[in-house]
Amino acid sequence: MIAVHRFLRSPEGLAGAGLLLIFAILALSAPFFFPRDPLSIAGPALIGPFQDWSLPLGTDRLGRDVLAGILHGARTSLTVGIAAAAAAIAFGAIVGTLAGFAGGLMDEALMRITEAFQTVPGFLLALAFVSVVGPSLAAVVIAIALAAWTGPARVARAEVLSIRERDYVASARVAGMHPLAIAFREVLPNALPPVLALSSVIVAQAILIEAALSFLGLGDPNRVTWGGMIAEGRAVLRSAPYLSIFPGIALVLTVLGVYLAGEATVEASAVRKGIA
Amino acid sequence: MTRTLLLIRRRLVTSIPVMIIVIIGTFLLLEAAPGDAVDAYVVSTGGDAGLIEALRQRWGLDQSPMTRLATYVWALLHLDLGYSVTFSRPILDVILERLPNTLLLMGSATALSFGLGSLLGVAAGAHPGSFRDRFLSIGSLALYAVPGFWLGLVLTVIFSVQLRWFPSSGIETIASGKSGIARALDIANHLVLPVAALGFIYLALYLRMMRAGMAEVWRLDFVLAAKVRGISRRRIVLRHVARNALLPLITMLGLQSASMLGGSVVIETVFSVPGLGRLAQEAVAGRDTPLLLGIILVSAVLVIVINLIVDILYGVLDPRVGSGEAAT
Amino acid sequence: MLAGTASLLASTALPSIVRAQEPKTGGRLIAAADSEPRNLNPAIVASNGVFFVASKVVEPLAEASFTGENGLEPRLATSWEGSADGLSVTFKLREGVTWHDGKPFTSEDVAFSALEIWKPLQNLGRVVFKDLEAVDTPDAQTAVFRFSRPTPFQLIRNALPALTSVVPKHIYANGDIAENPANNAPIGTGPFKFAEHKPGEYYRLEKNPDYWGDGLPNLDEIVYRVLPDRAAAAGALEAEEIHLAAFSAVPLADLQRISQVPGIEVISKGYEALTYQLVVEINHRRKELADLKVRQAIAHAIDKDFVVKTIFLDYATAASGPVPHNSTEFFAPDLPGYAFDPARANALLDEAGYKRGDNGTRFSLKLLPAPYFNETKQFGDYLRQALAEIGIDAELVNNDVAAHQKAVYTDHAFDLAVAPPVFRGDPAISTTILVQSGIPDGVPFSNQGGYKNAELDALIAKAAETLDPAARIALYRDFQTKVVEDLPLINVAEWGFITVARNSVKNVSNNPRWAVSNWADTWIDA
Repeated sequence: MIAVHRFLRSPEGLAGAGLLLIFAILALSAPFFFPRDPLSIAGPALIGPFQDWSLPLGTDRLGRDVLAGILHGARTSLTVGIAAAAAAIAFGAIVGTLAGFAGGLMDEALMRITEAFQTVPGFLLALAFVSVVGPSLAAVVIAIALAAWTGPARVARAEVLSIRERDYVASARVAGMHPLAIAFREVLPNALPPVLALSSVIVAQAILIEAALSFLGLGDPNRVTWGGMIAEGRAVLRSAPYLSIFPGIALVLTVLGVYLAGEATVEASAVRKGIA
Repeated sequence: MTRTLLLIRRRLVTSIPVMIIVIIGTFLLLEAAPGDAVDAYVVSTGGDAGLIEALRQRWGLDQSPMTRLATYVWALLHLDLGYSVTFSRPILDVILERLPNTLLLMGSATALSFGLGSLLGVAAGAHPGSFRDRFLSIGSLALYAVPGFWLGLVLTVIFSVQLRWFPSSGIETIASGKSGIARALDIANHLVLPVAALGFIYLALYLRMMRAGMAEVWRLDFVLAAKVRGISRRRIVLRHVARNALLPLITMLGLQSASMLGGSVVIETVFSVPGLGRLAQEAVAGRDTPLLLGIILVSAVLVIVINLIVDILYGVLDPRVGSGEAAT
Repeated sequence: MLAGTASLLASTALPSIVRAQEPKTGGRLIAAADSEPRNLNPAIVASNGVFFVASKVVEPLAEASFTGENGLEPRLATSWEGSADGLSVTFKLREGVTWHDGKPFTSEDVAFSALEIWKPLQNLGRVVFKDLEAVDTPDAQTAVFRFSRPTPFQLIRNALPALTSVVPKHIYANGDIAENPANNAPIGTGPFKFAEHKPGEYYRLEKNPDYWGDGLPNLDEIVYRVLPDRAAAAGALEAEEIHLAAFSAVPLADLQRISQVPGIEVISKGYEALTYQLVVEINHRRKELADLKVRQAIAHAIDKDFVVKTIFLDYATAASGPVPHNSTEFFAPDLPGYAFDPARANALLDEAGYKRGDNGTRFSLKLLPAPYFNETKQFGDYLRQALAEIGIDAELVNNDVAAHQKAVYTDHAFDLAVAPPVFRGDPAISTTILVQSGIPDGVPFSNQGGYKNAELDALIAKAAETLDPAARIALYRDFQTKVVEDLPLINVAEWGFITVARNSVKNVSNNPRWAVSNWADTWIDA
């Protein structure tokens, strides 16, 4: 409760939550306002924004409705970001906790694998993975998670290493709790805040990696994503800048929202920890 | 001293299994890719069945994947990175040609983002919640949220097409015949925009980590104690808060070294910088498995070296590690 | 004569040759290059990516021309003549030509190139010169090609610009031709010598002071700057870092704007002999697509006008059949067409028995647009929507180059694909390959859709050995009619590329293969 209270008192947190709420509503309402495929051709090509009120943000190179693209794009971009971050953090936190808590050979083995993944530049791994599997939304999500889980794993492990020597862990041991139970009930929750602090970075990066993959021609062509829209608009960056600016603004605002809300949450929960 | 040596030895010993995992993993990944180097090649040339068969044989692609992996590893044990069929040159040559450009780009961008990021982070974290803090952290975030390629394109349009301050692409003036300082200046001039595009993206990371770290440290007992003792705020910020908040940033530096190479793929493409990132992309597109393996091996060595330095730095900066004396 | 179709925006396309000016000599021309071919030997790899750089160094026997007889002008050969029986062709070679290393150029070099490289190694030469038995060299300036079976002289003539790059025998005679270092640093007779290649950065060519052309070349140097990103060329042109971007390196959508920039010209001439065709490849193994009515319905669903206007921004022509309009020699003018008519398309699909299901969909398809051009990908996006209108649900699969090649041409893992084949001046070495059956798996830009039509196969085979040009043309016109009737593939549009250059560059686009010709007379008005 105190955490929620604290969160609500932070203007950044509120702003972030507000932004996210707006985009979540946009994403959910997209099929209601634009039941047609957002990739369908809605009018003449390259109508500027605010000229034709049936197409308020104008049309792109093929005559697709930019506003429909942005609303539907919110769905895919948010899905990609959240799914990839959730997968990366869950996997990373488990690996990190196991490694840090078990120590010994297990730690060695897990950390070597983590390092192997870290050694390969994340974007490169994502690029190679999508090239191999073929561009689809699922492939993009898995590729980003593959590239992003090592951060949470390392942070979780470092945190676990310091926590496992603390008094309450020692007393849990004395009380005879199962090591796995200690790891996941006592240690992990306390190790989680700094790991979750990474979630905003990962969501943001996921959305950006998706954009960069689209830029290199590896986006899912059957879905609208903001990244894909920006990448397509860049050919006409000079003559029709709005084509990359509108999705660009949506992307920046969403990432900002994710960040601000994420950070306020972390701060609020840090205070809770301090009080507990 | 011995501690550092031990650290180096441990790093080297642990990197061997890491490298084995990386080699096998990368090899299998590219092996699973649809199409091989010959498919990628004949697209640009055309060719009939006989030509294609002959090429597969010439490039050794008619052998089984396991045979090729074994051949590759055997050569690697003799410090031979192999031969690139897409460039028809030894892989080591191809990589060494590109490596300096990438090192320059990454090094400068890291210096920019780390230096400016931590400085601004201190400025923001010194007065948590102030206008300056909010402006800096939100501003840097907005920058972080801009896709790298888009930032690059916009910088090009403004600074090279409109203002003509900096060249739009390349690493140096082509075939200029410059040497010495003139050449260094020329390269620096070409690097400004790509370094800015790459560095500004990561700026927010350091700025916000620094700021978040400082916020944590502010709450710690020893800072409170220092406050109680009446030490000036500036002194507290620099000596106690910032110094302690710097540690996770240094860890981040190690972590980011690999990810920056990934980020440079896109930046190198936008600015036509002939670096490792673009080479890696070409290797994937051309299905040149040995070349991609070579690049990843070289970047792995880089990452290991950087992390080693980070470990050592960490030991120097954080009295809690290793020395046994518990601080505060 | 050959011009016209591609140069629709004449107002922005005034080539600089119009103003007759005294050429200035000297200077460095900087052009954008978007790729770096692995092998720069045009005798082995006859492709535009290679020619773009190598054609300045290594010359063919003849080059395409707007004004010359049969659309040709002499290069290393000064005359060519086919025998009536189609069994021999006699080339008279230019005198006083030397290789860049100083050795004289002789008929021996032509004989060697033809027999050891064009015929066994070159992607297209393997078709055209398959029956070449010997090359007689009665003297240093005469080469007589002898064929074991009658080979149409018309085909040989049409193949001269692209297929007959001559390389020096004394460089290639020893060792493995495919691994010869000269493949990466070519040695030729052309107006420019190959100087250096800095991978990822540039190619540099230097003036050949001993060039046979009188007072040519005008330029001292040509530098190709490697700019892999498509948005980079426009910026570099505006920033005056490069002079010239050929092959539509500046995206079509940006041309309108860049044509307004002072000092920059947009030129659509100079690609008449390099026409690309936008085609929909069809996998006839798919039950639905094996039905002619379904193929006709798809043809009726495509609004070619939209494709030309919106995707190609009028820098293209709607196709009527497998031979492009600007091939005046072979083009059949009165082909039946498939007008844009979704209602008719829907009716045809109903007739074929593919009724719409509850969700409005008749059946689903996999659509693979080729990744090589922006336009092929955009057309893929469009086609998916056009098919949705007639109840066909197409799933787009965007592969990279290698994966596309493997999926379409080796594994046949597609239903529809979008391809941009090149028309190479003669149906025998281009468009027929997409129709003919019996081509082994894995050959790019060939019929891999499982289409088999004995009648068309027979036509193609007959045309390949018909000597009389008029009879041969008649056969190919027949071929076009049958292809349009039976739709082994759907031809949508044909386009040439666009050159954007600073207007200080003169003599741009003064032949139909300008971007891949030798640029000897190009000069810079500094």
